[in-house]
Amino acid sequence: MFIDMHVHPDFYEPLNDDPDKEALRHDQMNIHLNGTAPLEHVFNQMNCAGLDRLCLLPQDYTMLLGQPLVTNEEIKSLCDMHPDRFIGFASVDPDRQDAAETLEFAFSELKLAGLKLHPSRQHFYPADTKMGPLYDICQRYDRPVLFHSGLSWEPDAPTHFARPLVFEELAMRRPALRICLAHFGWPWIKETAMLMLKYKNVYADTALLYFDSAIEFYRHVFTQEIPITWIDRSLRNQVMFGSNNPRFEQIRMADAISKLGFRDSTLDLIRGGNAIEFLGLNE
Amino acid sequence: MIFNKEISYMTDRYNQFILITKDVEQAAAESGIRDGMLTVITKHTTTGIAVNEALECLESDIDAFLKKIIPEDHPYSHAHMLPDYGSTGGNPTGHIKAHITGNHCHFPIINGELIRGGAQDIYLLEFDGPSAKRKVLIQVQGE
Repeated sequence: MFIDMHVHPDFYEPLNDDPDKEALRHDQMNIHLNGTAPLEHVFNQMNCAGLDRLCLLPQDYTMLLGQPLVTNEEIKSLCDMHPDRFIGFASVDPDRQDAAETLEFAFSELKLAGLKLHPSRQHFYPADTKMGPLYDICQRYDRPVLFHSGLSWEPDAPTHFARPLVFEELAMRRPALRICLAHFGWPWIKETAMLMLKYKNVYADTALLYFDSAIEFYRHVFTQEIPITWIDRSLRNQVMFGSNNPRFEQIRMADAISKLGFRDSTLDLIRGGNAIEFLGLNE
Repeated sequence: MIFNKEISYMTDRYNQFILITKDVEQAAAESGIRDGMLTVITKHTTTGIAVNEALECLESDIDAFLKKIIPEDHPYSHAHMLPDYGSTGGNPTGHIKAHITGNHCHFPIINGELIRGGAQDIYLLEFDGPSAKRKVLIQVQGE
């Protein structure tokens, strides 16, 4: 099972019958010059990359935009269309007055598999006490949290909210809450590795391609910035493949991750085994 | 008289040879032009238009040769963050293959017939697929 843990369906054709909403998504994702994607095309991309499942992430930026960019209900609709291909996450703007109720509904009624939060875009620190009720709900439903971490290419997204170190207190205080630092916290790769080494509830995904080609950037980050042995020996149970599609290149990233020199058993974990654990699908 | 027809193709592989001869023949017939020149133009920079013999072995040889002279793992300057797109330029091989292949072909139309050699077929070449929509313009000029 090969799972892409980090996919934004903002430009999937079934979600884009409103040109104004599509334009808003281009502006707010800061992704341009791409069209909308029929699901048949999405599946063609998956086939070329060898992917079995995509984890679809919504974005609730209600406090900034007055509306979510992609709603939990839209994610649910895509998952209902193709439950064999899609895993759906929820998103909640933490400053919404009904944040807790919205998340409870997303887990209990929409049956979404986890929570996606974007500290830089939603302007909060992960260990802020106001986040407690949302984390309580995640733990009650045994759902993981996937956090944006490190650089965000989206507008109005200060990086200081998402530097890996600001996640430590959360990881420390809630060892039963599985959290993922998306984009491996780039550029703070060693900070992310440090957290993963100490806190086994901390995962990271590989959705980073900010310089060079996929294979060049992956080689630099995962074999030079940190030696490949760090993941292959010590962090092998906590790294998950993610692409951040459509910003980055799912097909070439899926290919590149297999060419870095990980043991086959480590690669199997990165490609899917760790995602299954993170999502709680093994239980 | 000028006749234009645009056809879209969804591609499902990274590099792909798509025979479009029948579509071009049909456009030539629809044009109603008896004597003139037909042009097939791709509207993209990571696809090509080519004329060659439609044999699997030749497709395989051409594909292998292009991959040999334009390898994926090479320090291409295009591989960097492109602010206009908000994404990383990962398709230099597609651009270079398209550059080598060319973006169009021409065929004369004489007495209402598209004139091409017995071994000549027309290909849309995908070099950065899969793609949801590859647009090809067929234009016929004549009388």
